[in-house]
Amino acid sequence: MQLGTPESNKAYTQSTDFKGVSMTNTTAMTASMAVSMEGVRKTFGKKVAVEGIDLAIPQGSIYGFIGPNGAGKTTTIRMIMSILFPDRGELSVLGKKSAVESKDRIGYLPEERGIYKKMKVGAFLKHIGRLKGLDSRGLGNIVMQWLDRVELADVHKKKCEELSKGMQQKVQFIASVLHDPDLIILDEPFSGLDPVNMRLLRSLIDEQHTKGKTVIFSTHVMYQAEQLCDHIIMIHEGKKVLDDTLEDIRTRFDPRAIHVDPVGGLGMSDEIAKVAGVTHVTPVEGALEVILSEGIDPQDAMKSLLAAHPMNRVEIKKPTLEDVFIEIVTDGVRSADAEQLRADLLAGSKLEEEGES
Amino acid sequence: MNMSKVMRVAAREFASTAMTKGFIIGALVLPAAMALVISLVLMLSINAQPPADKGTIYLLDRSGEVASTATERMSPEEVEQRWQERAENAKKFAKEIIGNKFGSKVSDSIDQASISIDTPEFRVIQTDPDVDIEKLKEELRTQVAAGSASGDELEKLIAIIEIDADATRKANDDEGFGSYQAFFRPKLNEETVSEIESSIRWSIRELRYQNAEIDRDVVVELSSVKARKSMEITEEGERKESSGITSFVIPFVAMILLLMASMTGGQYLLTTTVEEKSNRVVEVLLSAVSPLELMTGKIIGQMGVGLSLLTVYNAVGIIALIAFSMGDLIDARMVLLIFVFFLLAYFMFASLMAAIGSAVNDLREAQSLMTPVMLMMILPYIFFMPVIRAPNSLFSTITSFIPPISPFIMIMRVSSTDPPPTWQVLLAILLNMIAVVFFLWIAAKIFRVGLLMFGKPPNFRTLIKWIRMA
Repeated sequence: MQLGTPESNKAYTQSTDFKGVSMTNTTAMTASMAVSMEGVRKTFGKKVAVEGIDLAIPQGSIYGFIGPNGAGKTTTIRMIMSILFPDRGELSVLGKKSAVESKDRIGYLPEERGIYKKMKVGAFLKHIGRLKGLDSRGLGNIVMQWLDRVELADVHKKKCEELSKGMQQKVQFIASVLHDPDLIILDEPFSGLDPVNMRLLRSLIDEQHTKGKTVIFSTHVMYQAEQLCDHIIMIHEGKKVLDDTLEDIRTRFDPRAIHVDPVGGLGMSDEIAKVAGVTHVTPVEGALEVILSEGIDPQDAMKSLLAAHPMNRVEIKKPTLEDVFIEIVTDGVRSADAEQLRADLLAGSKLEEEGES
Repeated sequence: MNMSKVMRVAAREFASTAMTKGFIIGALVLPAAMALVISLVLMLSINAQPPADKGTIYLLDRSGEVASTATERMSPEEVEQRWQERAENAKKFAKEIIGNKFGSKVSDSIDQASISIDTPEFRVIQTDPDVDIEKLKEELRTQVAAGSASGDELEKLIAIIEIDADATRKANDDEGFGSYQAFFRPKLNEETVSEIESSIRWSIRELRYQNAEIDRDVVVELSSVKARKSMEITEEGERKESSGITSFVIPFVAMILLLMASMTGGQYLLTTTVEEKSNRVVEVLLSAVSPLELMTGKIIGQMGVGLSLLTVYNAVGIIALIAFSMGDLIDARMVLLIFVFFLLAYFMFASLMAAIGSAVNDLREAQSLMTPVMLMMILPYIFFMPVIRAPNSLFSTITSFIPPISPFIMIMRVSSTDPPPTWQVLLAILLNMIAVVFFLWIAAKIFRVGLLMFGKPPNFRTLIKWIRMA
């Protein structure tokens, strides 16, 4: 089932619209939704892991859950998978009250990689396939085809523990899509992969999306979400802070900033600050970030900047998800705190990548 | 519950445990090899007797009348004859004790044994009664120091016997008879030493009878009281008093079999659960099966492991009994009950292991939770003697109804010589079945919560909290 054109999604996916629809026609809504959540809350002892999460993920869409480590992404995903159960709130998966009833239609790649170390790769995948309700006849062929696709055809007789971490990761991915599920949930699918395999995995995920499958994946490395998703859900400290299409996010969080690289170097900042419509100039990574005052059209501002001073480069700054995230959690206030948070985010994702490579 | 998924989990569990080299060697080959080695050692120790001793005995007879009798008594012909008689008697005795069927096997092996033990051969030299005993000892000491002498073995001095002057006639009426003193070369066979000593004692006694003018045969006849097999009078009638082998060995073996089979399966269940949890494969599994399906599958899989162990050991036991012509000891009802009680004991033990395995992060943490379970499993050992001495005492009856040790105690009682009435066996099975349901219910709750809990190892209070929670 393919419902996932951006236009058709939009009406449902923006949280305000979703609420309107859900109140008038819940059954119609859940039928077309791969996953929906309403007011879901989960606590572990005194710690609130997830609080008041509302979600509506249409079938055929590709959704990214982003947020820093410990934000509540995995908890949310485990609740969708019925591995954990919410303390409060409503949840439906593929039109059923719980994922338990449609386990065989869901593919799941957990955050913690798990394989039987002593089992042979082929046997492990067949075992998972059987558990997922596949018929044992022809299963061997399906497994081999998949291994072939991820360039692991020669390892199916090897024990899982003999594989490198990246190879294990690919085996795990196969385990989650082997049974051709309608809904694929991938928790941090890219961690531990080198750039080549990252691209391979990205194309495989994209392919599933093109086939009309619903894909949900989480990542704390936000640019990965930017590359793949058509819709972003941002979770921070257990709360959903953003739920929108990537396009809308970019429009909404237009930073009203222009990056310029003036001839004569960054010492020209004082001169550029004098240009009409410019409120603030700060040096960033080999360029100057020019913040525009309200009501100024960026196109006009670029013209006047070029007129005022010769430039090597002038471009409208595109908001990254990191910027958006920081703006949301700091309420748009530019401060030392925000810079610190940004630095932490970048350092965090770097650490993660270094640690896993 | 999706049974095909449960059976799939069970199949993997069984294959990953039982189809490994470690299991086949550890659980099957090793015990078989041990049994083989033990029987080999036993056979060798029967057959490989040291060569018979030959040598000279100095007889220093201060009484002056024992020497000739003793010399005759220790002559090669007489010794040979006595050894053959003794072997015959041993056969008869074996038949009486163990019963005809098994006895024939024993007498065969005694035959083989007596053939393989050569009769010792002695050359008795009567020395001058006034010779200094120290001189003779010195001669023996020199010979021992020189090592084994070449030449005729009979020349070798092996013993010195000094018989007291008053050994056969009291010096006066106030004192008792004298005796004798023997000095031996070291490392003689035990049979040789006892042969020499008994010959001397026999000779001294013989002369005392003669001096007292008593006929030896009369003494033998007067002092012998033949023992008949004691009988027990029971409700059903008379029967022979329980013999050692069946009353102790069979209940013990039955209990050990049960303990071993249920504990092996349970232990493996703990290991695989901890493994699945610690390498996080559990989350993949839970995306395909429910916790209850997973637990059920694992328990069934390991039940297969326990059952195959039990079947193999039972088969080995039955084959062994048939091989030793003790097939009549095999009781179909017993074999059936062993399997029934195994299942009951296993399910209780396995539930505990599944719960513990799901609650902890690694095997080390499991140890503290395992301690009470292990203590419980020791109880059947401790209760073995009191139960088997009185299989129908109040203590035995009560403990055989208390799960989870009930299966072990009940199997001991059932296989004892005085089995409990059938209604007690059935009641125990019923009580255990109720307990199994309860144990599984508790385990399912802990299993569900515990599987995805990482971090601090839980204590019993946390476990109880989880039971309430789930």
